Amino acid sequence: MAEAVITKEEIMAVFPTVQKTMADALGCDVDDIKLDVSLIEGLDAESIDFLDMVFRLERAFKIKVPRGKIIEDVRGDMAVTDFEQGGVVTDKGVARLREYLSEIDESRFKLPMRVDHIARLYTPETFCKLVIRAQRASQAAG
Amino acid sequence: MVLNTARASSAAPTGRFAAFSFVDQITQIQGVTRVCGLYTIPVNVEHFPSSLVAEALGQLAAWVAMSTLGFSHRPVAALAGDTKIFSLPKPGDTLELIIDIESCDVESIVYRGHALVDGHKVLELADTVGSMLDMSEFDDPVALAADFVLLTAGGRAIGAFKGVPRPSLTDLPESTLGHLQAQLAVPAQAAFFEDHFPRRPVFPATLLLDALLQLAVRVAAQAASGKTLRLTRITNVKVRAFTTPGASLVLSALLAAPGSDELEPYMVKLTAQGEGKTIAGAKMYFALAGDTA
Repeated sequence: MAEAVITKEEIMAVFPTVQKTMADALGCDVDDIKLDVSLIEGLDAESIDFLDMVFRLERAFKIKVPRGKIIEDVRGDMAVTDFEQGGVVTDKGVARLREYLSEIDESRFKLPMRVDHIARLYTPETFCKLVIRAQRASQAAG
Repeated sequence: MVLNTARASSAAPTGRFAAFSFVDQITQIQGVTRVCGLYTIPVNVEHFPSSLVAEALGQLAAWVAMSTLGFSHRPVAALAGDTKIFSLPKPGDTLELIIDIESCDVESIVYRGHALVDGHKVLELADTVGSMLDMSEFDDPVALAADFVLLTAGGRAIGAFKGVPRPSLTDLPESTLGHLQAQLAVPAQAAFFEDHFPRRPVFPATLLLDALLQLAVRVAAQAASGKTLRLTRITNVKVRAFTTPGASLVLSALLAAPGSDELEPYMVKLTAQGEGKTIAGAKMYFALAGDTA
């Protein structure tokens, strides 16, 4: 089933909290957290920062985000072998990635793409969408 | 499940499962939600800082996490959101350790916990996250499983910990009023490296915190103009990288203004850098001795 579109209004509604949460986690100014900045290449975030950000977002929004949720969501019902081969994202996988990470500029999808490099694409907007999806899942679960 | 509380009485070992192990006995495990344990500070260990009480709590959480995951992964220090310090335990005190686990999987463990001495809380951890890493990189999974059985079946002999040397800091000339910088020379060899960890020696983050505390105390004391202070909280602890034996770190302590919602008058921001890269950070809060903040 196709995911309901996440609107710009929804994103902007959660962005101020995401922005402050990320600034706290990364120890930078709130103004450094632009919606489209690359967290790794633009803000020097490391894997521990992603763990920190997700943990803080869970607390701030009272949501639960299972670890590895982004990759799991991207893959959806696609078999692992259809999504990646030997650590490299397949063409089908890249298409799914572009669709899921629609906020990321096309030019940033460098091919071939390693699975462990996917996080380099993430921006604050990616995390806004993660929060919105978690909120929707929570509401759906009642 | 309440476990056998009869203590083992054999001689204390040294090195692995001894030199930096702070759980003597696991007394109760309630699924993957609550675990309780005991640790007695050896009477001859004079320096047992609050960070080692936190280490004991973290190790108890780690035992349950490792057991839950079949000893395939182990957590390492990553984040400690809020640690409250109420008092400093004394040599000979027995810490009652209680951990409440929020979640535990192959990526991370999220927990909170507290330590009591004679029913009084000495330290409380909240918003604590450990990153899970491949166990075999750090220790022998079979040996750890056997250690876990020992801890849950009556416990091990107490008194194995022989203490750790106080961190040796050398002030750097870049220091200014309200901003101290010092070099920490991590020992190339130490007994605790045999236990933390047997296959991959890593300088314990809690010893790094103790070194940072030394610097923070001095910065806060400057601001307090000689008044007696006590450490009340450590927040925003983030360990970004492992520190290897023999490493040289630059520690920095900067006096900062506490937030408007914070009770303590003094807050110090701390970082540790190795080879120009920040490897750990924290904030420490101090109140005037006698204040209830």
